[in-house]
Amino acid sequence: METREAELKGLGADFVFGFVQSMDGERDPRNLLLAFQIAKNIIHRGYDLGKFTEELFEVTSCYFPIDFTPPANDPHGITKEELIEALRAVLSGTPKFAEFLLPLIIEKLDSDVQSAKLDSLQTLTACLSQYEHKDVAEFLEGLWTSLRREVFQTSSERIESAGLAALTTLTSCLSRSVLNSDSEDSLSTFLDLVLKDCKHHLCEPDLKLVWPSAKLLQAACSASNRASHIITAAVMPSLIDQYSSRTQAPVILIIMTNLFLSSLLCSEPMDQDNNRVASEQYSHHAVRQRCLSALAAVSTQPSIVRESTPVLLEVLSSAHTGNLSGKMDPCGFLSGCFHVVRLAGQTASRAVSLFLDGDVSFLPDNSFPSHIQLLKQGDSWSQSQMVCLLMGCVCSLPRSVEVPQIDQLLSQLEEMSCTCSHPLSYTSAAKCFAGLVNKRSQGDSLDSLIQRTTKRVCSELDSTSSPVRTQAFTLMIWVAKALLLRYHPLSTALTDKLFSLLGDADLGAMAADGFSLLMSDSADVLNRGCHADVRIMYRQRFFSENSAKLVQGFNAAPQEKKPNYLKALSNIVNKLPKQETVLLLSLLLEALLCPDQGVQLSTLSCLEPVLINPPPALIQQLEALVSRLLALICSSVRIASLRCIHALSRFPEHEILPFRARVLRALARPLDDKKRLVRSEAVQARGEWFLLGSPGGR
Amino acid sequence: LVSSGGLKMSGGTRLENANPVIFQRSGERLLTASEEDEDVHDPIDDREIFDILSINDPEHPLSLEELNVVEQVRVKVNDAESTVGVEFTPTIPHCSMATLIGLSIKVKLLRSLPDRFKIDVHITPGTHASEEAVNKQLADKERVAAALENSSLLEVVNQCLSTRNI
Repeated sequence: METREAELKGLGADFVFGFVQSMDGERDPRNLLLAFQIAKNIIHRGYDLGKFTEELFEVTSCYFPIDFTPPANDPHGITKEELIEALRAVLSGTPKFAEFLLPLIIEKLDSDVQSAKLDSLQTLTACLSQYEHKDVAEFLEGLWTSLRREVFQTSSERIESAGLAALTTLTSCLSRSVLNSDSEDSLSTFLDLVLKDCKHHLCEPDLKLVWPSAKLLQAACSASNRASHIITAAVMPSLIDQYSSRTQAPVILIIMTNLFLSSLLCSEPMDQDNNRVASEQYSHHAVRQRCLSALAAVSTQPSIVRESTPVLLEVLSSAHTGNLSGKMDPCGFLSGCFHVVRLAGQTASRAVSLFLDGDVSFLPDNSFPSHIQLLKQGDSWSQSQMVCLLMGCVCSLPRSVEVPQIDQLLSQLEEMSCTCSHPLSYTSAAKCFAGLVNKRSQGDSLDSLIQRTTKRVCSELDSTSSPVRTQAFTLMIWVAKALLLRYHPLSTALTDKLFSLLGDADLGAMAADGFSLLMSDSADVLNRGCHADVRIMYRQRFFSENSAKLVQGFNAAPQEKKPNYLKALSNIVNKLPKQETVLLLSLLLEALLCPDQGVQLSTLSCLEPVLINPPPALIQQLEALVSRLLALICSSVRIASLRCIHALSRFPEHEILPFRARVLRALARPLDDKKRLVRSEAVQARGEWFLLGSPGGR
Repeated sequence: LVSSGGLKMSGGTRLENANPVIFQRSGERLLTASEEDEDVHDPIDDREIFDILSINDPEHPLSLEELNVVEQVRVKVNDAESTVGVEFTPTIPHCSMATLIGLSIKVKLLRSLPDRFKIDVHITPGTHASEEAVNKQLADKERVAAALENSSLLEVVNQCLSTRNI
């Protein structure tokens, strides 16, 4: 056959007939292997079968399923598996066998012998991937009955999963059919069968058939877009109803989640004709989006997230291969999930090896390129933004769990955060870096890492024309925060740099806002929920060590830069308990004169709590305070200002009485403000000032 | 107790209406998007005036709203014409506190509204034996001003207008 193919084919169907005759009755395994090989060639290489298709089938299929035990000391070493594989290649080789093979398989599935069942299921899966819907149409009921039985009454996990795989392949096969107006839709006919038998069990979550039913539905769901649409549409509404009314909510939740996940996973190749593909793709993406949002909502249970982790990592790999559009946002979802659930070290190490080495070996249904580079920006930011998933994963680990390959990871993250141009990507890389640095154990290696990073960041920031100044700034601020939280001495170098940037032409305002970042609680990283190293009173400590510096800087700054200092100050002070605010009263009063609205607003909100229990120092400054507050009651920050004036009315009466008339006069105007909210504050404030010093007042 | 400059009040120390009917307070006004929009003008409406009138009753630890002395439906404001009218219903027809209540309402409005407003406060028709007399006093600017010069009267009015700790 190797060398004389043309001649052999020239013999036509006679050749096949002759072969069939010679193979008949063969029992020697060596010969059988050879015979199967020949039969396979006949089929695959397009020999003309003539009217001997059935005969060819019969002469090979009589050995199915293979029942062979090699004799002891067999010198030829032929295994049962080899025979099975060889025969399978023949039987599943052509759709022409379908009408004979499928009934045979159904019959053999009935057998009690486990290996026969398994072989049948695997052969079924193999042949279905070649068949068209018309080949299987008349056998759908029989196939479904058998598959259902294997899953409902399963005694073996292998058989159950083989059965589910067969169902998936069958559903895929049916999904491949092209619909036209007069052909019956075999996919929906088949799914009707499936739903009829499975759907009602989902409504009885206390009976044991719920899980097999759910698995069957999932298997069908993951076959194709159309299948997942049909099934989820049929099943979800009643599941959702049940979820809200049932005590078996966790069970329902898991079922729903698995269905969502199966829908997400179906990786149908998009190589059909254009029109249908475009709209299907769009709706498919929309469905995926919705699935993800729904998953985010239901993933509050650790058991669910544990299930979904490997699948979701696969979703992100899909993003790499371009099967998903850049519109996907698994980041927020996963970061949120991982934040809530403690991940075992195992998942973290998988995530790390995925990101660092492109190792996809642990992902289910692995058909992805073996070397994904997720920490390099490359062409598409849809890929690099996946680093936020890494962040969600490794930064929420308890400190006792060691992150593998951490030095390499840190180095790549640093590189990415300083060079990538996509904001979400470089910010997430910076945050991830910071999250890891915060938990890294004390010692020389940590210190030298910090020093290297500090040096790099500072040199970029010092060069005003550097294209990555913003990136360097972002990294700097997150690392500063990471170190500040744990009282690391090297944080000072970074925070000093931040102070010095308050006067920078381009980064000044960003630096001022940076103080807010330093002092606020961050939602997704560097907080106690992520097991970060957060020392008590770090804000107060920072403030007391740096307030003098801030005041000096302010005094020395040129007029147009003063707002940055004030903004920085109010960002810091806003997060402090109010006792500390008292120390900066003069500066705060000064800040009220600043024309910048942001500064005014944050100053006013700092001041208000101080006015409730005013320190003596403030009382000495009443004239300045009252004048400046009154000056603001018709400005864009008038509500905040009115609230402060209201608070002023609580001061010791003899101190503020001299101001009463003036305040009452001034407050008449905001009573007629065009905004109701303003009027309401003015009414309250003015009412209190009227009662001041008046009989029956406070 | 006291009378001055024409405002007649009678009344002893005994509570006249020891068991009033209590009405439920209305809920907080809901904020709308346009109210937060700097460019949109919010006209003064009845509800706003009604909210200003969350005043204590002189006899009870309850508010005038809870005693149904003031009701939103009896508050009418016209921002464009700068007029506001409030009808109040004394708790019982011979309530001697009627004048005081009316005065408190008037004062509260005087302190809370822009100067341009003409403020009319009167008793709900048919709910008080001396409503004509009380209405006349409340409508007279000079008599109101003089009353407020009286520190004891002012004291009671201010007590009504003080915000209570809830």
